[in-house]
Amino acid sequence: MNKLLLFLYSIRWQDIVDVTLNSYILFRLYVLFRGTTTLRVLIVIAFLWFFQRIAAYLGLIITSWAVQGVTAVAALIIIVIFRNEIRSVLQAKNLKAILWGVSLKTIKTPVEIVIESVYEMARKKIGALIVFPAKEDLKELIQNGVSWRGRISKEMIMSIFWHGNPVHDGAAVIQGDQITDVGVILPLSNRKDIPLYYGTRHRAAAGLAEATDALVVLVSEERGDIVVAKESSMRVIHQKEELAKILQEHVGITTKGADHTRNEKIKTGFAAVVSVLFIIGVWFSFSRGLESMITLEIPIEYMNRDPKIEILATSVNALNLNLSGSGTIIKTIRPDQVNVKLDLSKAVIGRNTYTITKKNITLPPGAFLKGVKPSVVEVTLDVPISKSLPVQVDWAGKLPENLILSEVKLYPAKLLIVGGSHILNNITTIYTEKVLLDNISESGKISVKPALDPASLKIALGSKDKILIEYVVKERPQ
Amino acid sequence: MRYKIFILFLLPFFIIFCLSIPSYSQHDEKNSSAQKSKKLTLVQAVMCEGIQDYKPWNQAIVFSISIGKVSCFTSFDPVPEKTYIYHNWYYKDSLSKRMKLFLQPPIWSTFSSIQFREADKGLWRVEITNPEGNIFQIVRFSITD
Repeated sequence: MNKLLLFLYSIRWQDIVDVTLNSYILFRLYVLFRGTTTLRVLIVIAFLWFFQRIAAYLGLIITSWAVQGVTAVAALIIIVIFRNEIRSVLQAKNLKAILWGVSLKTIKTPVEIVIESVYEMARKKIGALIVFPAKEDLKELIQNGVSWRGRISKEMIMSIFWHGNPVHDGAAVIQGDQITDVGVILPLSNRKDIPLYYGTRHRAAAGLAEATDALVVLVSEERGDIVVAKESSMRVIHQKEELAKILQEHVGITTKGADHTRNEKIKTGFAAVVSVLFIIGVWFSFSRGLESMITLEIPIEYMNRDPKIEILATSVNALNLNLSGSGTIIKTIRPDQVNVKLDLSKAVIGRNTYTITKKNITLPPGAFLKGVKPSVVEVTLDVPISKSLPVQVDWAGKLPENLILSEVKLYPAKLLIVGGSHILNNITTIYTEKVLLDNISESGKISVKPALDPASLKIALGSKDKILIEYVVKERPQ
Repeated sequence: MRYKIFILFLLPFFIIFCLSIPSYSQHDEKNSSAQKSKKLTLVQAVMCEGIQDYKPWNQAIVFSISIGKVSCFTSFDPVPEKTYIYHNWYYKDSLSKRMKLFLQPPIWSTFSSIQFREADKGLWRVEITNPEGNIFQIVRFSITD
């Protein structure tokens, strides 16, 4: 339970945005490309990538490397090979449709295409005769048809019944989503009750409808009427919805259509869920899956110090932070994104000891603190004062035995030193850096720097930072 | 008569003597008060390898550890009264040895010495102070290889 809470606590708002945005992009890709070959290839690439991650996790170096290469190449190939398909999908839709619209039927059903074509022809007064067979075989009754076997499209239907087309006077037979035959001659009806203004096309429609269980849709060339012939009835249809209902009932997709819509909705919802789950999986893979560690040396920033007080000494100047996180996040961490801050507002003059906690450390999102070394920092504070101190030369080495260093003069003999009062009050002499005696053979001069210890001591502004040593060497009396 | 002549001969000397006694006494008092009004003054403070004939021998500011011993020679003039001084020997900034040395008027020289071990190489100083701790002078030196 605690782990779950810890996990939920560790989720950043960026993670939520990340997953939501990419899930939506994936879902939109599905919506735009469903039913196309591109989507199938995209799914294959996704599987390849997933396989590569598993291979990498299991330590299958060559497999991982090979699959990674194939995935990268496949991603390029999909753009090249399916560029036309991608272009047609993107061109066919407006920006709103690309970003937002969810069309449950990207491909229109044959019934819809037929209705659209029929009404278009009626508007243009193009005569048409379309047969929708039912269970009975029509081969015995229809003659002279030209086998077509082409997928239904509005343009195709329009061209079949175009005046210039040799088969435009015959009927077209539609089965499923195909125009199976065109230029078909139908048997004429001998009924007497057919209105006189109905022509041969009407009689042909009535003839086939009477003789079979087929449904015939007719477009009057003269009046632009749409007539549906079924069994012995012929009725003019005015509304698209009415024609759609009749056609759907005839081909038996009335209930099927509702089911289809529901199925489409379920499919779309499922795709949305899969998109979210897939992206969550990817997110886990990147941000949680392969945990990496890094150690950074971060300088300590001291905050809220009383301006009258100075930091004289610190036990350390930087801390080693051991951070963990996903490989991607850890690799991109820069030292300037990590801060260690110590609040000195409650510090007192003298030695202050601080234990470093998470509150003192600022980390970039996604990085977690695993350890701090050292975990305790000592800060010595003091009020700065200045003090004039005599200088003493720190001689080292060995003077030749025949010589005596008898006299030394220093310029300046005293230095004005600035430092903490606690330190300066205990210091009576400033020593120089070491001066080697081994090379001295005669009197001379040498310039040296003072060795300020502790390092918090500073030479006051305006005071010389080098000391000239003038020394006198004499022969040792025998 | 011979005694009279002898007495008369000695009388002027006696008178002069008698007159001279208070004069000498007064002079001594004057001298004494003059001495007392003068401050104890350090005229010489040096580090040396040793003392010979009441004088510092081989004065230096750097001494080899092989010598084994170093002395601090101090000379005061005047010394108004019997008193004492301190030679405070410091190794770097920590007091290593404190020596009390007596002075006799009118002029007095004195010294203190210290034996060195290998671990004593480094920076030394001797502070010469009066009984109250006021520093007359600091003499600095080094013990090297």
